[in-house]
Amino acid sequence: MPFISKIQRQSDYSLFPSTCPIVIDNGGSYFRIGWAGETDPRVIFRNIVQRPRHKITGETVTIVGDHDPALLKYFDCTRSGPRSAFESNVVYQFEIMEYILDFGFDRLGADRSQVDHPVLITECACNPVQSRSKMAELLFESYGVPSVAFGVDAAFSYKYNQRLGICDNDGLAICSGFSTSHAIPFISGEPVYAACCRTNVGGYHVTDYLKQLLSLKYPHHMSRLTWEKVEDLKMEHCYIAPDYASEAKLFQNGTKEAEEKTRCWQLPWTPSPIEEPPSEEEIARKAALKEKQGQRLREMAEAKRCSRINELENELKGLEFLLQQLKHVEENAVPSFLSATGYVSKEEIESAVAKVTQSLRKAKGGQVESEEKADPSAAEKYALIDIPDNMLTPEQLKEKRRQLFLKTTSEGRQRAKQKRFEEELERERQNKRDEEKRLENPELYLEQMHAKYKELSEKVEQRKRQKTNGGHTNGNNNGSGGVGRGERLNAAQKERMRLLTTAAFDRGKGEDTFGIKDEDWQLYKLMSKDNDEDDEGPDEDEAELARISSRLRQIDPTFVSKSESGSTAEVPRFRPLSKEDFQIMLGVERFRCPEILFRPNLIGVDQAGLDEMAGVSIRRLPSKGQSLEERITNSILMTGGSCLFPGMDERLEAGIRMIRPCGTPIRIIKASDPILDAWRGAAAYAAAMQFPQQTFTKMDYYEKGEDWLRRYQLRYTI
Amino acid sequence: MEAEVVEAEIVLPNHLSYKKIQMYDKYPKGQARGRYWKHLKQIIQAENYHNYPPEEPNYVNIETPPSMHPCKRICDITGYEAPYFDPRTNMRFANADVFKLIRSLPNEYVQRYLALRNAAIVLK
Repeated sequence: MPFISKIQRQSDYSLFPSTCPIVIDNGGSYFRIGWAGETDPRVIFRNIVQRPRHKITGETVTIVGDHDPALLKYFDCTRSGPRSAFESNVVYQFEIMEYILDFGFDRLGADRSQVDHPVLITECACNPVQSRSKMAELLFESYGVPSVAFGVDAAFSYKYNQRLGICDNDGLAICSGFSTSHAIPFISGEPVYAACCRTNVGGYHVTDYLKQLLSLKYPHHMSRLTWEKVEDLKMEHCYIAPDYASEAKLFQNGTKEAEEKTRCWQLPWTPSPIEEPPSEEEIARKAALKEKQGQRLREMAEAKRCSRINELENELKGLEFLLQQLKHVEENAVPSFLSATGYVSKEEIESAVAKVTQSLRKAKGGQVESEEKADPSAAEKYALIDIPDNMLTPEQLKEKRRQLFLKTTSEGRQRAKQKRFEEELERERQNKRDEEKRLENPELYLEQMHAKYKELSEKVEQRKRQKTNGGHTNGNNNGSGGVGRGERLNAAQKERMRLLTTAAFDRGKGEDTFGIKDEDWQLYKLMSKDNDEDDEGPDEDEAELARISSRLRQIDPTFVSKSESGSTAEVPRFRPLSKEDFQIMLGVERFRCPEILFRPNLIGVDQAGLDEMAGVSIRRLPSKGQSLEERITNSILMTGGSCLFPGMDERLEAGIRMIRPCGTPIRIIKASDPILDAWRGAAAYAAAMQFPQQTFTKMDYYEKGEDWLRRYQLRYTI
Repeated sequence: MEAEVVEAEIVLPNHLSYKKIQMYDKYPKGQARGRYWKHLKQIIQAENYHNYPPEEPNYVNIETPPSMHPCKRICDITGYEAPYFDPRTNMRFANADVFKLIRSLPNEYVQRYLALRNAAIVLK
């Protein structure tokens, strides 16, 4: 920051005699205080006050000016931002003003019971008397200042530069400050306030405009764009275009010159770590781990199988032993013998044996061949089926039913098997045909396959869409287009919904004729929930689609299945943030923001800009005359912080030349130091012998009253 | 209070020897109502400038009148010259690209852009 606050406490306060005035430049952005006759102010700080709470003790403290942000971490500044005593360029908040004066006097080294020095303090041109009297009151009452003088900063700056020989006795001061800009003409060294003019645009507005524009352009970096940072950017990069329109045109056409003029602010940015593909070793390690886990699972399965085989073998042994025993038992003793074992007949035991052997074989990994084996014995197995019911006992009847059931299921199984076999054959044949076709003309075949694949996949896709998205087929297959409840239902659900609502609405209307016709009851069927199962159609298509895609995958290495590619596209891919995302580009903004000084209507202030202000001011002069006007335009002084923009003088000269008669001599001069000249001028003024006559005391103030204070005005030429 | 804070003396002391009335006496704690300060508008109103002759300069009549130059309009977003105007958003724009951008902007942003030139809709 070019403006560096000076807040060292001065130790030589007591060395100054009580006649030596204290000079204060109370500017909108900076407060400067020092001793009359010196070249530089002793203490400079930003004209702001913060009243944060201490984070630990919780007490509210007063912090004046700007400080190292590192020290402010102990305070909770969230509830109170920096506050200024100014509104526009007028002091209105005298509590804040008092804190600022406290701090200023404190740093100047004041240590006695009162501030026993005359005070010269700056104010704005035509300061409202209320503000002036409050300020005088404050200085008299709180600090015990013996006498006070008020002057205008722009005038002091002009007088200072006049003394340096930079500008003439007659002239114009164009002072662009923090919140306002003034044009004040001078005749024979005295400001003519009747002819001055003020536009309510200043450096504050430039910074604010830049800040707003940048935060609108880069909403993600809003937190970076603090007031202080933007102020820095403004001071470093902003300039005044000689001609706004042509400069903007440069940027609009994207010329090389514009590119060179674009500044870039790189925000701190660290590239996100690039994900490295796993190393060979890692892959091997992972594979080994997987293998190990697989091995363990296999072992577990093996152990389980072993124990099952064991169990089954034991059971089988038991059953065989039972059969063996049964042979020795006499015919009539069989039921009593069996009742102990839980089996009813020998046949039952035999069937149990068969079952166990079968499952044992299964467990041992052998093929289940029982069905085929059983086939030849079908006749005896289903012995009871052909015998009519009335010839059977109830038990036999039960047995018959069981056999019937067994037979139908086994037959069904066989049929399904047959069908599967046939399908396999069919597929084989089709594949063979395809292969033949392919061999005939590979390209054509591939093309056909692709076409078919496309057609089918679209069909399937559409059906899916219809299912999930109702009749909504506008190519919006991710389903994000539809909102609302209706969009989420599929066609069948929608139809159901429609039926329900019509039924509900029909209820109240007129005569209830529902149920007179039989078809009416069909409605409930349609309404029922299980109605929305879909038909077999899509499955066939899907199967065909799967076949084609697998086939395509075989013969065309470049083929990528749509569902795979579709799924990757649906996931929003996050572009990794790059260096460019952390850049703040200053292009047009560089000259767009200071342009408001010349065209305040860009920010909605309906007043003339700096160049026209000179014309307005000269027009307002009470004493007219060409020679006077020429003398004035020949000595136009630019002062104030906002005059520091490069290109200001050329632009001002061009602008003033436009509104002044042809051939008018125009000389634009920049003040020797646009920021400090006001204080220096005031310090020099206060050091003059005649200064005490320009001040007024507390007695004067109370005797002469407000009306006198209103008309109070310094004589700058003393 | 931390040592470095005390060292830097950034906190204004409560009692200052050179003051005749201390801040804590003038603005006692908890009585915020006595601290009301007139704003500039109210100050100007209270000045009753209309009671004084118009040739006497005062804070209000030294204000610069509106510009005599035709006001050139610039694009609200890019800053280029803006020949066009969007009646829906009230934004001025330079070309079709900017127009597309304007139409895609959320209303909040539109209002913020308009607020830059004091043209936003202000609800009271």
